[in-house]
Amino acid sequence: MNKYDVVVVGGGHAGVEAAHAVFRSGLKCALVTFDAEKIGQMSCNPAIGGLGKSHIVREIDAMGGIMPIATDMSGIQYRTLNTRKGFAVQALRVQCDRELYKKGIQKLLNQTDIDIFEDEVVDIVVEKDSVKGVITKTGEVLAEKTILTTGTFLNGIMYTGQDSEKGGRVGDSSSIPLSKKLYSLKLPMGRLKTGTPARIKLTSLNTSAMEEQPGDTPTPWMSLTNKVSEHQKQLSCFITRTSKATHKIIEKNIHLSAMYSGNIVGIGPRYCPSIEDKIFKFKDKDSHQIFIEPEGINKDLVYPNGISTSLPKEVQEQFILSINGMENSIIEEYGYAVEYDFIDPRSLHQTLETHFFKDFYLAGQINGTTGYEEAAAQGLMAGVNAALSIKKEGEFVLDRSEAYIGVMIDDLTTHGITEPYRMFTSRAEHRLLLSQSNAEQRLLRKAHKIKLVDDERMAAFCQDEEEYKKFVTNILEKTKVTEFTNKKKELIKLSEKKSIATILTRPDIDENTIFETTKENKKHLARAAVEIKYKGYIEKQLREIHKNKKQNHKKIPTNFSYANLSGLSNEVVEKLLKAKPETIGSASKIEGVTPAAINLILVMLKKEEIQKAHA
Amino acid sequence: MSIVFALATPAAKSAICIFRVSGEGCLKSLNELIEKPLDGHRVFGVRPIYFKKRLLDTVGVISFKGPESYTGEDSFEVYAHGGLGVMSLFVDLFKSAGFDEAPPGEFTKRAFLNGKLSLNEAEAVVDVIDSSAEEDVFLSSQSLSGEFSKAVVGFAEDIDFIRVRVEGEIDFSDEGEDFLDGSLFNDLDNLISRFDLFVGGCLNKKNRLVKNKVLFVGPVNSGKSSVFNRLLGFERALVSNIPGTTRDLIESEVFYNDLSFSIFDSAGLRETDDLIEAKGMALAVDEIGSVDVVVGVFEKNDPVVMAQFSEMAKNKIYIRVLNKIDLGGSGVTGFDCCLSAKTGEGFDFFKAALIDAFAAEDSHSSTYLVRERHISLFGESVLSLKGALGRLKKAEAIELAAEDLKIARSCLDEIVGFKSSDDLLGDIFSTFCIGK
Repeated sequence: MNKYDVVVVGGGHAGVEAAHAVFRSGLKCALVTFDAEKIGQMSCNPAIGGLGKSHIVREIDAMGGIMPIATDMSGIQYRTLNTRKGFAVQALRVQCDRELYKKGIQKLLNQTDIDIFEDEVVDIVVEKDSVKGVITKTGEVLAEKTILTTGTFLNGIMYTGQDSEKGGRVGDSSSIPLSKKLYSLKLPMGRLKTGTPARIKLTSLNTSAMEEQPGDTPTPWMSLTNKVSEHQKQLSCFITRTSKATHKIIEKNIHLSAMYSGNIVGIGPRYCPSIEDKIFKFKDKDSHQIFIEPEGINKDLVYPNGISTSLPKEVQEQFILSINGMENSIIEEYGYAVEYDFIDPRSLHQTLETHFFKDFYLAGQINGTTGYEEAAAQGLMAGVNAALSIKKEGEFVLDRSEAYIGVMIDDLTTHGITEPYRMFTSRAEHRLLLSQSNAEQRLLRKAHKIKLVDDERMAAFCQDEEEYKKFVTNILEKTKVTEFTNKKKELIKLSEKKSIATILTRPDIDENTIFETTKENKKHLARAAVEIKYKGYIEKQLREIHKNKKQNHKKIPTNFSYANLSGLSNEVVEKLLKAKPETIGSASKIEGVTPAAINLILVMLKKEEIQKAHA
Repeated sequence: MSIVFALATPAAKSAICIFRVSGEGCLKSLNELIEKPLDGHRVFGVRPIYFKKRLLDTVGVISFKGPESYTGEDSFEVYAHGGLGVMSLFVDLFKSAGFDEAPPGEFTKRAFLNGKLSLNEAEAVVDVIDSSAEEDVFLSSQSLSGEFSKAVVGFAEDIDFIRVRVEGEIDFSDEGEDFLDGSLFNDLDNLISRFDLFVGGCLNKKNRLVKNKVLFVGPVNSGKSSVFNRLLGFERALVSNIPGTTRDLIESEVFYNDLSFSIFDSAGLRETDDLIEAKGMALAVDEIGSVDVVVGVFEKNDPVVMAQFSEMAKNKIYIRVLNKIDLGGSGVTGFDCCLSAKTGEGFDFFKAALIDAFAAEDSHSSTYLVRERHISLFGESVLSLKGALGRLKKAEAIELAAEDLKIARSCLDEIVGFKSSDDLLGDIFSTFCIGK
């Protein structure tokens, strides 16, 4: 059997992004999955992006990843959320044709030299303290590095009412021997839960009784690479609501729900509650919103987002028929809850390599996250770090101040999780610096340095940046005007001539009316308007970041003995021991750790350094 | 590391005061402050310094390029005139340049981290940090039950509740929930006025604390100025053996054990036809009404004179000091302290007596000990809240109001503790029904 540089276990969003990152890094990768036809499958709702998540997708885009491209190959509705709430929190959500998305991913993988094995991984090959590949049902795949991206498949069990079935997704099996193996190694593991709603025939719905939600015009793009030249046909989503009757049916039958009957031990996400949870925990609300998302262009199927459930099939049918516009629903597939294993992400380095085995990386839901975007980003980071390690080119770790991906991995590895982790913009303390529109400015140069993006794209990017600079200095700073129109369409006369750059600092300005723009200029103007208006806040955040940069990057050895520090309370010591922060920066983000405690740690670290030097 | 500054000389009126500044990039900032750069390092230069476009002072400056400095970082020192007003303006100037006030032990800590100190010296650093941490712990634990801290925790919770709604509106805008109903403006408005009132109260407390005043009185040439100077540790009042050389009240500030107080020296009280001195004496008599502690300095026990001064200091805490014991005045009765300004003998006891006097005076307000730094943090917090309200009312991008609110909350972190984003999200989930 061939020996590979990297073997990736799993063909979901984390797995494919990991494998492709290894390929872009110029190394040879194998990908092992149950069913090659299901590679790139969207298991839950057919959408990519959304609040906090489109930021991640654009970051993946800036690092040459494939998720954004497949999104554009399959996007059937594009909507920008939070348009009036500020540029940094704006987010693009794309409804995708489930089938076309999967095909898109598979097509992109086919353009590489990644070897795909259809097999089940039953064991990992451990030599001393390092993992050297995997054992499958039919043989073995050896590699320098192993990346595990098992998603919901690791000991996955699906629940509908009182019935349960082994599997990570309807129609698929579950990785049970591998789970047993990992448990036998006494790794820090736990159970998590997520759920999905029934799937319903579009033609059985009365959409005219619902609110129609069309996409943006003109249709935007998720990827900024221009690799997809034409949009798919665009469709609308629909919005409806649960009725009082719906709530009554669910209340009456709640004891039959798998989640309420005590069968499920795993913890579910609070922000993605089942309809049972919503009705039970918010009794005073008499209606909940449901998004009807089309599954595809030629597909007579919708995903009713907002009513995920583990009630028995007949109850599901009853309550669905009580919803406005869904009275004649034909259910194609029933909803279910799925419970699966995860490994405590505090046992990971920021490179996503594990503390307990060398050359062993974990990415995606196995680390306790939820969401395609979160998984894909981890896959990319694990893939590139595995490759860099083989090439002995160091590590690729993103800071909290430069990427949402950095925030996520730092959160996971420092604080661990108490529920499936998903991204929100409020998790990023430097939110104003991290917009979905400036991901390339933040990350492209870095990604180019480690060959994640090619020279051609880098050159195009640099040229664009050059043009932007020229636009600001030659046009915005030099063009002077004596009047402008504000947002209320009033003409404001100025007492003296002022440059457009100066006028853009006013909060009441509508930059689109200030002068005639070409298409290229329009893009630059939008960016300049933001950069000028937010200058004060951005500078403040940058100062914050630079203030302790050197100190924040200082590493804390894994075996650092906090207990020996006089002056730290037991509570703080316990928190530090639990979190095992890798850097001073991570330590300072732990609740209850004061600046004085950080000072003590710094002094002790230096002391150990000196002692070592003298030893 | 960030740029920090500290006053290296006592915060007392003096001929000159010295500020130390250290941190990466501070030399660049220095050049912006003094306009004409120094000719090299470790070179002394005299430069005018402007603040808000007005001449602040003409100062001596010396710069050190790291690692050839005490901390091992780029550093500089400023030698300015030693008025209290000048000092506080320099503090403002440095803050506006983006420098932070150095916490206790910071310069030494940096020196150690940059390899400028030995291991033994490091132990001392740990002690300094330890004690400041202890003090913080003490303050916060004391305040847990205290009125003061309860109030601050309350404000933090109020800010959190507003943040829950604003962050909810940003992160869950497509959920069909109404986060920003009309009550938000009211709640925020109300919070601002309550917080504003509280900060005003803190300032009053602080002023009370700082204005603890000591007045030195005594017969002509009893050595008031010498005692005063010895107490402060350096020459201040004009001292001579010609009676009546102290012609004016001299105000200064001294800090002991976290208490700060002012000292007034006054001309000896006697009948005089020297107009200037008469004015000084009148000031002293006026002043007695507003002081907390009166120190009477005498060179002998003259019952008539002593009674005269006791009468003057009635209703005040009055410490009677016998000076010049080096000249052989021991064994004299009727005094609280016996000392010699010339040799320093007896001063430890005198200082302790002064501190006791203030402790007695201040015991009723000790749970309300507010630090200057906390007051300025509260001020910043209120300012940010006002910014947020303004932006919300003008319907500007809500993410900026969210940023203002985040800053407002972070100002209270030191007292209330850091609120993690995960906690904030938890509050959103338990308050609103969210999720598809």
